[in-house]
Amino acid sequence: MNVNVVIIGHVDHGKSTLIGRLLYDSESITEGRVEEIQKLAEEYKKRFEFAYFLDSFDDELKEERTIDTTGVMFKGKNLYSVTDVPGHKEFIKNMLTGASHADVAVLVVAADEGIKEQTGRHAFLINMLGIKQLSVLVNKMDLVDYSPEVFQDIKTGVSKLLASFGYSGIEFIPASAMEGDNIYKKSDKMPWYVGPTLIEALDAVKLSKQVRPLRFVVQDTYQVDSEKIVAGRVESGSMTKGDEVVFHPSGVKGVIDRITVFGGELEKTETGDSIGIITSCEPARGDVCGLVTSQPVPVREFVGEAVLLGDRLEKGEKLELRCGTRRVNCQIKEIREKINSETGAVMDRAPDFISQHEAATMLLDTEPLVVELFSDIPELGRFILVRDSKNIGAGIVLEKRP
Amino acid sequence: MSELQDLENKSIYIIREAYAEFKKPAVLWSTGKDSTAALWLCRKSFFGKIPFPVIHIDTGYKFKQMYKFRDSIAAEWGLDLIVAENEEARKAGIGPQGGKFECCTQLKTQALMQCLEKKGFDALILAIRRDEHGIRAKERYFSPRDEDFKWDYKNQPLEMWDQYQSIAEDKTHTRVHPILHWRELDVWEYVKQENLPINPMYFAKDGKRYRSLGCEPCTNPIDSDAASIDEIVEELKTTKIAERSGRAQDKEKAFTMQKLRALGYM
Repeated sequence: MNVNVVIIGHVDHGKSTLIGRLLYDSESITEGRVEEIQKLAEEYKKRFEFAYFLDSFDDELKEERTIDTTGVMFKGKNLYSVTDVPGHKEFIKNMLTGASHADVAVLVVAADEGIKEQTGRHAFLINMLGIKQLSVLVNKMDLVDYSPEVFQDIKTGVSKLLASFGYSGIEFIPASAMEGDNIYKKSDKMPWYVGPTLIEALDAVKLSKQVRPLRFVVQDTYQVDSEKIVAGRVESGSMTKGDEVVFHPSGVKGVIDRITVFGGELEKTETGDSIGIITSCEPARGDVCGLVTSQPVPVREFVGEAVLLGDRLEKGEKLELRCGTRRVNCQIKEIREKINSETGAVMDRAPDFISQHEAATMLLDTEPLVVELFSDIPELGRFILVRDSKNIGAGIVLEKRP
Repeated sequence: MSELQDLENKSIYIIREAYAEFKKPAVLWSTGKDSTAALWLCRKSFFGKIPFPVIHIDTGYKFKQMYKFRDSIAAEWGLDLIVAENEEARKAGIGPQGGKFECCTQLKTQALMQCLEKKGFDALILAIRRDEHGIRAKERYFSPRDEDFKWDYKNQPLEMWDQYQSIAEDKTHTRVHPILHWRELDVWEYVKQENLPINPMYFAKDGKRYRSLGCEPCTNPIDSDAASIDEIVEELKTTKIAERSGRAQDKEKAFTMQKLRALGYM
């Protein structure tokens, strides 16, 4: 099974070191790499760090911080794609880029520092992204003499913070990535801890798949020989040859005459399939296809919660919005509640604007567009805000308006 | 769904997005395993016929077998092949003897830049993978470049949920990386599953094989007895040798790869 793991937490709490340690202990580091890094560390007059397996930009080494997200893979019981994200506030867009595909998150909290600004913000953001499986790694236990009291204090504080975002029953693991305690190997320095190591917790992850209605997004139509093939991806549910379907917002109806891939045909698709279909109607790029019995409904207004990565966003501003393969013009009709992305607390009601790194619930006015509630069909319940062709915000759909 | 199918579905989605989003895309083909797999994915995306040109950058230093392989596949798959070269630099005799950094920049990056300028491509599909090199692990699927080809790696776009950055006004082309999420092992398992043609230099002869193909003077074979695809797959499951260990330009100095890539190297 493929499991996408994102490691989150405040700057310097040891995220890159943790991943470096995982790679090292799982013997995923290639020959000569350790020596290469030792040499590099000497050159930069620094001591050897596991983090250097990840931080590949020279600026990252010089500044001793992660600037952009990194993806690495290693094999345990599952095949893990592990994403390292930067812990600085100024790199939140890189953090979100890395976290958006994760199934599971590990929140790293340094035992000697406890909760810091990005501890809260990262937890808030991954909750918004819908990542419900979370473990907390209390790192740098070596710096607090492996004290169960310190661990307990942090556990109490972080549990309280996470509960405010709706997380409960979270696993807490006392560890030291630097020393290798409870990451890949069980530590003998904390006999008071009886829970799993990090790798044991990851190996125990189960990814559940829910049965959802068919949603197929149209990317394009190709003329191949004498046929028109509608190309796209099955975002949720499945499609069977002969199904009666409708495409919105175009509103055209048809029958799935054939499902085609290069060199063959399919009777039925799975969720995630990139396929072509042959149908009598002519949908357009951006359309969403569903069965006539469970149709996607286009809206002109919806309530979303979004986090702003670009500069100040004002009530009334016109932007472009992307959802699935569709791009539409939209307008911020109302900003309802401004939310502190560090704590999740409401800062202001009906403000005129929000600033970079703030979140808000808002009412959006759009050209006809198929969206779904994020809680129903996440693939079509999330959107990107675009200003001057740059992606500046990301959000989820909370409420549809007809 | 199998892991390979999952990887393939995502790659096809990305290639189709690139074709829909850009006016004039092209795909880069070195004739190596990764870009041959990427070409195959392009064929699959469009049901056989790739609707845009395939660029091969010819440094003049490639292995003979690479040219042979290139020409036979180009004919078989009906590719619209463009062979790009930096004629001036080649006439001037630029080569690895005068420094690998300069050689790669002139014969590869500059050749590509000239081709892009001449033909006006606004998107380039490239078969780089995260697990090849630390610096490639930092890439986006859609990665914009400015007119000087610069990769602004300190300020990469927000890229969430398969919503890729489209071209911005201050950028001239976008690098598209449809197999960024694949591992070397995945590529070989895919070559096997799809029965893809492959340059025989990858298979061991007299205890040596090429694991990564580049220019003849700067590419060395590794010790290996893997003489078939199955044996390569087995070898990769246990090896601890880095894939690009035989590629000299990566190793000249620390961060050479970052500097090459910042200037527009692939």
